[in-house]
Amino acid sequence: MQYDLVCRPASTAVRFALDAGDSITCEVGAMIAMSSGITVETTSKSRGGGGGIMKGIKRMFTGENFFLNHFTAQQSNQTLLIGPTMIGDCIHHPLRSGSMVVQGSSWLASSSSIDIDATWRGFTSAIFSGESMFWVKCLGTGDLFLSSYGAIYPIQVDGEYTVDTGHIVAFEDTLQFKIGKAGKSLVGSFLGGEGLVCKFQGQGKLYCQSHNPPSLGKLLGPKLKPR
Amino acid sequence: MVSTLNFEITQRPDFSMLKVALESGQQVFAEPSAMASMSPNLTLKAGLKGGALKSLGRMFGGESMIVNTFTADKGPGEVVFAPGHIGDTQHYRLTGGSLMLQRGAYMANSAGIEVTGKWQGAKGFFSGEGLVLLKASGTGDLFFNSYGAILEIDVTDDYVVDTGYIVAFEDTLQYRVRTLPGLRGGGFKRLFFSGEGLVCQFSGQGKVWVQTRYVSPFLSWVNPFRLTKNN
Repeated sequence: MQYDLVCRPASTAVRFALDAGDSITCEVGAMIAMSSGITVETTSKSRGGGGGIMKGIKRMFTGENFFLNHFTAQQSNQTLLIGPTMIGDCIHHPLRSGSMVVQGSSWLASSSSIDIDATWRGFTSAIFSGESMFWVKCLGTGDLFLSSYGAIYPIQVDGEYTVDTGHIVAFEDTLQFKIGKAGKSLVGSFLGGEGLVCKFQGQGKLYCQSHNPPSLGKLLGPKLKPR
Repeated sequence: MVSTLNFEITQRPDFSMLKVALESGQQVFAEPSAMASMSPNLTLKAGLKGGALKSLGRMFGGESMIVNTFTADKGPGEVVFAPGHIGDTQHYRLTGGSLMLQRGAYMANSAGIEVTGKWQGAKGFFSGEGLVLLKASGTGDLFFNSYGAILEIDVTDDYVVDTGYIVAFEDTLQYRVRTLPGLRGGGFKRLFFSGEGLVCQFSGQGKVWVQTRYVSPFLSWVNPFRLTKNN
């Protein structure tokens, strides 16, 4: 499987060149275009039907829908073009050992050899701003494709590092983390515009995004007609 | 009348703009609100181009009934066009053939090109986004725009494109709207969970232009942030 990141950095899309038998798992709705020798299978959660359809429906109604499309090339020389929802960049991360925790809307695609666990509850979702925020844990060896709102910048954490929760794209789970407030007092943190932050500790790779999706949502939401 | 425009597209692919340098007497046509700036020797005239019926067709094609005409009637001058949103602009030279444009993709054209709406019948009806296409034909320069970047795909065999990501295609291609090939599971599961809903299957020889972003998923993303009614 070969890949190519095109139209970087604001309208980035990923173009795959697939050989017969190559398989990619993508976020639902990510497919832009493809050769016709590729078949698609939809599952909820992970490949092999983990979770099942009823659990999938339940997740859908609780706003936690997480469906995956598996694209498999049936012939050689097939191309698949995928892209994320937000204006922003995509990156490739080779997953060699261990696992990576990815912000739900930043996970774009991964090799089918990587297991996607959408039930990861390392953070309590309630404390996060933004209703659509959830996390997936990617485990295995293969290629991982992440997307962002704005640019993506990597941080090699060695010691401690603090990130606003809305700016996290993904992090290696060798890192420990603690949710806390940015300033000394909770009131002060909120007045300063910094909500909750994630304090990472240890050694590992962290990907951040330049812009904060929940902030954009909160900017646009009140200007639209109420639901 | 000269139907070859002297133009330049800059800031691709995200903030693309089109600058057209008109010779004395030359004309360029554009969708309303596409004009960003222009020289004082150009005259702008709004009007129903090609008569009421053709204008109605364009309206069904998601475009305004009005097409603005820019004429360099007081000597040479330039005009700058830009799409209303972040995105790309693409040039296509028509030489007697036709190009199909997705709803809203039309931006500007030179003299010698006719742009009409084309009712796709049931094909368009089932495509959700409305595969109501505009048809540009004649000889001259055509410009279209997108949300996100534009990628050109050379179709030599079969190719599948999500209906929402189509920007334009040459009418030498045949197409039909369908669900994704090989998508297993019942109809319910297929339609509601795959998210890729409907695609356009192209066959034959020709070019397709796709965009790398699509506005509808973004709107779905914003939706949960809308306030809820209190009563």
